[in-house]
Amino acid sequence: MAQPRNKIKVLLAQFPLETHSRGIITVAGMLKDAGMEVVLIGNELPERIIDAAIQEDVDVVGISTYCGGELALADDLMKAAEEKGIKESTVFLLGGIFPPKNIPKLKEMGFDGTFLSTTKEEIVSCIEKAIASKRRR
Amino acid sequence: MKSEKTTKEILEERAKAEGRTPLYNPEALEKIKAEFERWKNTTVPERDRENWEITPHTILGSEIPRELLYTPLNTADLDYEKDLGFSGEEPYTRGIHPNMYRGRIFTKRQLFGAGSPEECNRRMKMLLEHGATGTNWALDLATVQMFDSDEPEAKGQVATVGVPIDCVEDMEVICRDIPIDKISASIVTHYPRNTAIIFPMYLVMAERRGIPWDKLPGSVQNDFIMESVVRSAPEYIPPRDDFRIQCDNIEFIRKHVPQWNYVTLNGYNLREWGTSGITEMAVAVANGIEIMKEMSRRGHDIDWIAERLAFFWAPANDFFEEVARIRAVRRLWYKIMKHRFEAKRPRSMWMRCHVQTSGVSLTREEPMNNVIRAAYHALAAVLGGAQSLHVDSYDEAYSVPSEEASLLSLRTQQIIEAETQITQVVDPLGGSFYVEALTNEIEKRILDEVDEIERMGGIIEAVASGWLHHKVARHIEREQRMIDSGEIKVVGRNYYPDPNLKLPDIWVHEYDETIARQMRDKLARLRQRRDNEKVTSALQALKEACKRGDNVMEYTLECARADATVGEMRRVFTEAFGSWKPPIFT
Repeated sequence: MAQPRNKIKVLLAQFPLETHSRGIITVAGMLKDAGMEVVLIGNELPERIIDAAIQEDVDVVGISTYCGGELALADDLMKAAEEKGIKESTVFLLGGIFPPKNIPKLKEMGFDGTFLSTTKEEIVSCIEKAIASKRRR
Repeated sequence: MKSEKTTKEILEERAKAEGRTPLYNPEALEKIKAEFERWKNTTVPERDRENWEITPHTILGSEIPRELLYTPLNTADLDYEKDLGFSGEEPYTRGIHPNMYRGRIFTKRQLFGAGSPEECNRRMKMLLEHGATGTNWALDLATVQMFDSDEPEAKGQVATVGVPIDCVEDMEVICRDIPIDKISASIVTHYPRNTAIIFPMYLVMAERRGIPWDKLPGSVQNDFIMESVVRSAPEYIPPRDDFRIQCDNIEFIRKHVPQWNYVTLNGYNLREWGTSGITEMAVAVANGIEIMKEMSRRGHDIDWIAERLAFFWAPANDFFEEVARIRAVRRLWYKIMKHRFEAKRPRSMWMRCHVQTSGVSLTREEPMNNVIRAAYHALAAVLGGAQSLHVDSYDEAYSVPSEEASLLSLRTQQIIEAETQITQVVDPLGGSFYVEALTNEIEKRILDEVDEIERMGGIIEAVASGWLHHKVARHIEREQRMIDSGEIKVVGRNYYPDPNLKLPDIWVHEYDETIARQMRDKLARLRQRRDNEKVTSALQALKEACKRGDNVMEYTLECARADATVGEMRRVFTEAFGSWKPPIFT
């Protein structure tokens, strides 16, 4: 998989019909400020998000969701990641608006970070810790 | 091509030709000026003298510098009749109606619509029984993005943030037993394409019930800025074609559904996505100008077209700026319609508006603080003279609002209406040295941005080139940095945050897969029952009309009559116009 490199590379995407993009643009700005490379692909089906992650050879996949239905779509995403063999090596994040009680379910699916309202420091430190722990494995 | 004058040039020439009759006598102003200098240099503390102008930093703010104190010197050339006048008369600064809220209180139009078409119908009937005078329906994501409930992209999104509509049958269920010739419906079709698809379904539903179209009151949004710029989506069509559909819709609706408001120029969502209050209004006004130009080009009378145009604004945190903005854009729109388009009828010059309090200004931390924020936003809107109001709910950083939170929003409106007494007097802040100076400054800044847009070739070009997308992205990134650094203070988040903060247990709307299943079953039945050959030929005719340049709504109407679905029509538009990628994504 990915060669260790100086710059962390992040793919940011949304599920197909999401209309809101303020969150994802905000996070893209935060991560660029933190020295990461950001690929913003917009709205895609879960399988296509995984294809793009493989093609772009990223360390992190971040999903922004606002309108509900995130459990079903997140599940499709993680299944595709598993099938294509990047689930263990890639950091998965999900942020936006969703019921807090879904957080344990999302963690169980394999998300390394779930963010409802957060700061740049929290996201960056979550990414750095998760990458370190995945590389140790 | 002969270069045409910009709106700003036209208005400036006009102002120069008209001349002014200043309110203040020069001698008195001279005296005030001398006394002001004395006061500023002796009485005012040095620190305040040095920081005489402060630029407020706030979420979605315009960063207009503010002085410590405003005096007649800030509007020294005030011409009362030209700049302010009387309510219900030109230049409408003080309000579009002479008696404003004494005559008609702002419409309390709370948006709702999660659930199945049946649930939506039940809830609308319940609200009408409790005294609501209009309906305001949100559509679910699949419908907004023009996907059928059974397309793969719609997975997990059916009936989440609004009601799903796939075909005329759903429209019939939503409106069952509702007197649609008496109750006005605000159908929140954000985009030109989904207006062209969904509104004809409403018309066919009326037709099947035997209700003539000229009896139907209501509104659609139909704003190409929403479709080409503000939303995020899996597919787009080129902005120029989208603008054309916007105008086709306007033309068709004006002709056949005369009581219907065919466009609501939506500054709200652009602002909430991430712009200043100046850009919010400049973009909507520039779109309005482009619509009027296109309608003249198509040979329509300006007064015939203009009288049903409405705007939609987002009052946010900077209280006096919000009051002044609504006053400023009302005066500016009047000037544009009167002097640039030579409208004759008062109604054509009115900037009528619906407002919704700012959602981006609300926080997840300590959500009850949002009750206070939304109340101030709403107060500013009413002091500015808005026609219609939606107050956001405190729990919106968690979910679509609970019933309890929705009721509190309605109560907020009723407290402003019935208890504060601010509705008794028209334009109560008019004449304030500060508010008038700010109104002038904001009007100037909006017109300057309209001018910038016109000089780059107009609003369609400003969208197609990516200018607007990038402006927003820069705004969002910069604003976040200012929140992170504490320059923008957000109470409870970065200003005195509670170290022991616990997120409260708030009711959230849950995704219900059974509705999606029902919608899929209904579509399967529909595709069996309808005349599929008729559907195919109606869709083919639509595609040809798109390419030929005929009014598309004439053809989407035939598609709806044949029971074509939302997704089927969307795909025709995309095939006919090709797809476009907004210049913001990689």
